[in-house]
Amino acid sequence: MADAPPHQLDPAFVSQPTVVASAVSIWFGPKVAVTELSCSFGAGVTGLLGPNGAGKTTLMRAICGLLPTNQGQVQVLGRDPRRDRSVQQAIALVPEDDAVPGALSARQLVRYTASLHSVRDRSAPDQCLATVGLLEVADRRVSGFSKGMRQRVKVAAALVTGPQVLVLDEPLNGADPVQRVTLIELFQALGRQGRTVIVSSHVLHEVERLAERQIVIIRGRLAAAGEHRAIRDSLLDRPRAVLVRTSDPRRLAADLIAVEAVAGVTIDGSGLVVSTPRAGEFAQALPSVARKAGARLREVRPLDDSLESVFRELLR
Amino acid sequence: MTDLATTGRSLPSPFAAVLAYTLRACLPAKRWFGVLLPCVGALLFGWLTVALDGPSQQQDFADIAELGLFALILPLTCLVIGDAVLGADVRAGTFQLTWLSPVPFRTIVLGRWLGGWLVALVTLVPALAIAALFGGVSDAAGSMALAGLFGSGAYLALFMMLGVVTRRSALWSLAVVLVGEWLLGANLSGVAQFSPRWEAQQVFAGLWDYGALLEREGMPLGWSAVVRLVVVGAVCLLVATWRLGHMRPVGVAD
Repeated sequence: MADAPPHQLDPAFVSQPTVVASAVSIWFGPKVAVTELSCSFGAGVTGLLGPNGAGKTTLMRAICGLLPTNQGQVQVLGRDPRRDRSVQQAIALVPEDDAVPGALSARQLVRYTASLHSVRDRSAPDQCLATVGLLEVADRRVSGFSKGMRQRVKVAAALVTGPQVLVLDEPLNGADPVQRVTLIELFQALGRQGRTVIVSSHVLHEVERLAERQIVIIRGRLAAAGEHRAIRDSLLDRPRAVLVRTSDPRRLAADLIAVEAVAGVTIDGSGLVVSTPRAGEFAQALPSVARKAGARLREVRPLDDSLESVFRELLR
Repeated sequence: MTDLATTGRSLPSPFAAVLAYTLRACLPAKRWFGVLLPCVGALLFGWLTVALDGPSQQQDFADIAELGLFALILPLTCLVIGDAVLGADVRAGTFQLTWLSPVPFRTIVLGRWLGGWLVALVTLVPALAIAALFGGVSDAAGSMALAGLFGSGAYLALFMMLGVVTRRSALWSLAVVLVGEWLLGANLSGVAQFSPRWEAQQVFAGLWDYGALLEREGMPLGWSAVVRLVVVGAVCLLVATWRLGHMRPVGVAD
């Protein structure tokens, strides 16, 4: 294990890390993918959350040694994955892209990975294929698989090496609901075994189900880290714009201005656009204010509830 | 999971796995077509010897060998194989599967090269020997096979190296053949000294009874040319091995 960093109270770090990123910066020409990012991962499942293009995949690739860092360093089990090939024995990556040779069958692919890692048990590939529910189609070529099946083949190929550190880049992409549940349970079981499981996703609720601890990356920077409840609470309290359609917009607007959780109100035809720094408090107050004003509520919906806006707010 | 079972017959060694992967995954049906097509071309070149109206059959075959077999068939077939065994895998992003393993880079490079050489051994080498038979110069078949054998080994190493050193490896490989060997190598002896095409031709010239027809001044002949090809191949494989440790095997889309 690498030495514990001197950030014991920082939620971006864990006390017994297996993977440590220290002030990592990675850029591709003029495009900066990761900026001064420091965090660590330990046993259990950690979610890596962020919108598309946030730098999650770049960080994961750096953890696996596929990409060198331009500044800072990544250490896995105390070693540099870029320079020390032996550490690859302990790492497995499930990439997001379709980086699987389609000419091979699922069994051949998993056996190949097992052989590269000098796995001694000949039955291990079939066991892993059974774990991800692909044993029955193990002799079919990967090129004929659906996206979800290819994803599961990659998971099987990663599992067969018995990795201490498992890096999963959007592993649930293309999986149907039943497969999702199975895979989530599998990853959680691996985490409980003491393995370091790093799972990336841009879907907030997906990561919430997967991992208790989360690290949020936005525009290559660390935006938040810690238990998912704490992050979720901070998201709920972010300023929001809410559209309220009502029978009497002028009257309701006048009354809403007096509400403490309301920062501003704009009348837009039959609707109001309410700006609130505390959405939860506003949602509780709105029905009673409308009742007192004698205004009937026809529609209430947030205008900027996309994940992108949530992430943007975190970065602010 | 591997934790659950640790007994039973072993899986292939990493080297054997890399070799098998090269033959199975790197050479799909389309690639085989690309390999076999120039081999058929070699046979047609052999036939062409009979149709030529030169001073002797040996002279005719020597011309065909120089302009067709060594200048065209040998490099193009090796380009298809050499690109397939590494460069295409890197471009497709599938090489990361192999890269992300504790297997030393030299094992990967050697396994890929050997896989490619085996393919050349069962396609190109027989095609070159049969071309000599078709051309009516059966005494040249053995030397032609040896020239193809060692020439393809060096070529494959060269194209593998280009596959990991350059991004558009197929284009660079073609440029090396056309500009480096056809244009510069044909006129500058210094360049030809490192050219698999010219060295392979010198292997043939040195081992064939009528090889004087193809000899090139200032270049080693026969087994000396074989040594040169081995050196060129070894250097290319070393560079490829070094390069693997410094590359970003994440595919062109990234």
